[in-house]
Amino acid sequence: MSFRQARWDEPPIWELAAVPEAPAAPPPIPGVPERLRRTRGVRWPELSELEVVRHYTRLSQMNFGIETSFYPLGSCTMKYNPKVSELLARRPGATAMHPYQPEATAQGSMELIWRLERALAKITGMAEASLQPAAGAHGEYAALLMVRRYLAERGDLDRRTEVLLPDTAHGTNPASAQMAGFTAREIPSSNGCVDLAQLRASLSDRTACFMLTNPNTAGLFESEILEIAEAVHSAGALLYYDGANLNAILGITSPGRMGFDVAHLNLHKTFATPHGGGGPGAGVLAASERLAPYLPIPRVVRHGRTFRWDYDRPKSIGKIKTGYGNIGLDLRAYVFLLSHGEEGLKHVARRSVLNSNYLAHRLSALLDRPFRPLVKHEFVLSGARLRERGLRTIDLAKRLLDEGVHAPTVYFPTIVEEALMIEPPETESRRELDRFAEAFERAIQDTPEALHRAPQNLAVQRVDEVGAARHPRLSWKDLRAAVAPPATAGPAPAPPPPKP
Amino acid sequence: MVGPARGPLGDTVPRWISDEPGEERGLLEALGLSDVEELFSDIPRKARIGRLGLGAGKAEPEVVAEVDRLLDRNRPYSKFANFLGGRIAPRYAPAALDALLSRSEFSTAYTPYQPEASQGMLQALFEFQSLWVELTGLDVANASLYDGATATGEALLLCRRIHEGRRFLIPASLPWEEKSVLENYATGPGLVVEEIPWDASTGSLDLGAVDRAVASGDVFGMLIDVPNGFGHLDEALPDLKSRLGTIPLVVSADPLALSVLAPPGEYGADIVVGEGQGFGIPPAYGGPLLGLFACRRELVRASPGRIVGATVDAAGRPAYTLTLTTREQHIRRSRATSNICTNQSLVALGFVLYASLVGPRGLAELERRLSEKARTLASGLGGLEGLSAPRFNAPYLHEFTVEIRRGSALEFLDRLRRRKVLGGHPLADPRPGRPHDAERILVAATEAVDDKAIQRYVRSARAALESVGVSA
Repeated sequence: MSFRQARWDEPPIWELAAVPEAPAAPPPIPGVPERLRRTRGVRWPELSELEVVRHYTRLSQMNFGIETSFYPLGSCTMKYNPKVSELLARRPGATAMHPYQPEATAQGSMELIWRLERALAKITGMAEASLQPAAGAHGEYAALLMVRRYLAERGDLDRRTEVLLPDTAHGTNPASAQMAGFTAREIPSSNGCVDLAQLRASLSDRTACFMLTNPNTAGLFESEILEIAEAVHSAGALLYYDGANLNAILGITSPGRMGFDVAHLNLHKTFATPHGGGGPGAGVLAASERLAPYLPIPRVVRHGRTFRWDYDRPKSIGKIKTGYGNIGLDLRAYVFLLSHGEEGLKHVARRSVLNSNYLAHRLSALLDRPFRPLVKHEFVLSGARLRERGLRTIDLAKRLLDEGVHAPTVYFPTIVEEALMIEPPETESRRELDRFAEAFERAIQDTPEALHRAPQNLAVQRVDEVGAARHPRLSWKDLRAAVAPPATAGPAPAPPPPKP
Repeated sequence: MVGPARGPLGDTVPRWISDEPGEERGLLEALGLSDVEELFSDIPRKARIGRLGLGAGKAEPEVVAEVDRLLDRNRPYSKFANFLGGRIAPRYAPAALDALLSRSEFSTAYTPYQPEASQGMLQALFEFQSLWVELTGLDVANASLYDGATATGEALLLCRRIHEGRRFLIPASLPWEEKSVLENYATGPGLVVEEIPWDASTGSLDLGAVDRAVASGDVFGMLIDVPNGFGHLDEALPDLKSRLGTIPLVVSADPLALSVLAPPGEYGADIVVGEGQGFGIPPAYGGPLLGLFACRRELVRASPGRIVGATVDAAGRPAYTLTLTTREQHIRRSRATSNICTNQSLVALGFVLYASLVGPRGLAELERRLSEKARTLASGLGGLEGLSAPRFNAPYLHEFTVEIRRGSALEFLDRLRRRKVLGGHPLADPRPGRPHDAERILVAATEAVDDKAIQRYVRSARAALESVGVSA
């Protein structure tokens, strides 16, 4: 393998020009009193357009993206982002639209929102959907606010203060529960799945909600889901669906059919909108009949051929952000949906699950698989065996980067020792899966020294994350203030990381 | 496996899924299976679904035609003399900006959890954080939140972490959407958002009311916005922190305004948030937006969101990485400072691109020019009967409030629209039963506003007001 990433030694942008310590104050604006004005200009470089373009082009060349590299990040669903979506999202009819334009001038956007919401309601088996959340965690949070309001109306909020979740849950779940004013309580899993007896024993009249991902973060389908739903509902609690892993079940089952009351989806995962180096995403809230009245306002409604915004929803939680959602991304998701259609979506689920089982099968000769063999769109391996050679999962991950592929999600779920979580979405061909399996084999068979030293083929070698946290330098201002760079004891193992 | 029939452009599905003849059969055979359905045997029959009724897939030209049909039903603001603004600014972005944002190494990347593979995005985000630090005069910025409104929500929660109390003070003039978002963020921990009335003449905070609220105790933070919800500047801004004492001050600031106004860090702000969409990103009917967030150094470990730090690699060369992650949900779970995971990284990149392409002098010059246009419009409208423009006697930059005294704001705006003018947006809370004390609209100037557009606005406004008079 002869992968080499660009290495530009590109300085920070302020080093490209001489920036005065105190740039001249901007000319005064009539009517603005002196005490409100800047006494010196903003300290930032004055560069030509070409200098700026070259700087960021070079930076881009020191970054993996889906179009440069296979990105098998578990729970992140890093699939191809279609070009036609990018083309359409840049039409003036999509971009030059202010959210406060009169309804009469925004009928197209409103129809798009209406159509996408209805399609997503069908896909999730829910009564209604809202595009307002900016991302998955934002959708979780909004859903729990809806649960709160619903329980309050039922006169049940005072005692139902607890949110239950499995110990495999994404970190956002307990964090959202806490922000929404609940106490998050984790239930130990058994063989990677919810332990029904444990769940039953934990449910009580203090339970507001049980949050679950299905397939879960171990890549397993919770086959007892109908019994789980029954148990949760008989305890008077609600069932929440974390839609991060929806890709595996598109068109085959749905949160509504499984008995969930409210769900969030990540359009930047399942519906192929670009991740943008960490965002923007696009979250969706989908709710059953009994929770739909609590969805954020406004709701788009249709009267014949005309669409309008309805603010008259007395039970609604109100707003969770400015505007109606990340509509620019919703449009891309709509393109994905239109292109695939119903059969195409099922094909997406089938192929992603086929890819995942195939790759799991190939890699299980190299590392242990902790749970049952049949997985959905992703699977988990344990790097515990690497310890015999003085290695950790992080070393394998870094060595994989040298092969020109992105590393899997590592150290998650935490119930698996030295976990690697791998998701090969439907857009990867068999050839690419085979190449990855070969790269994985080369990496694991390389010498321990080579793995410790990895990566060598990227813009930088192993990055000192511990030093970064110990001596935080978080901006140019800090760099200016720093007398000397922090002492470093070489590469430190990364802290147990990522939930994607 | 029975996949849908397809061809490059005909049939149904695009070639986003590899379907070389024999490929899927080969994958199944490797698993010792004959039918892909066997891979779903763990899903109980009773949980299966039938048809969804979504229709068949479409080939690319049909998809383009269908989406264009929808977009053609829109009438973009570029077809009007456009005066819409507020937190979301329909400004021009240099073409170089979208060209760089479109680079797929940025746009299709995931969160830079593997720093060695992601130095480009990490360095760009470090530059973004540095820029917001320079604009605000604070010490630490994060790598973005969802939007300005959710950034105020996170600021509220941070204030509560560092100060006792149950009451959070906001100006009554804050946009209603932001009030609603703040009320939601306050709900979980059982906090109260309390409105401070404005002075009838200036629209600025009633300082007596601030003093009384502080004196009555239990206040854990206060928010003020610059410009305020009326588009005006509060002259008491520099004195506010001294009235609050140890109570944290949150300033929600427009980034373009900060190119000419004193950095809030200089007058005691503990946290500065803002909406950053106006720097380079089209409104796109309201999203994606950009939540800006900076705070004093002492608060960083209690603050929300991802942060990029400078460090070195194993060879001792400069490098960047996500840092202070023990604050975050993927490590700290229910004890995290926020639930945020996905943020607005690409939009943050757009922000630093915009400021770098326009340059610091260019930003200040843009704000000066837009302010001049706003003043020209205000003096044109000021002469009309039936409205008050600007409504408030306070300084302003590129936007201000107009009060309609004859007819309703909605009627007024509708009449303007018929004359090809998007004349601003109503400030009233549209929810039924909410207080609606006056017909006010917020009017803003952008680069696209020229003398002709201003004259058209004034002419149309006169006609709109006269026709109300006639029908009355």
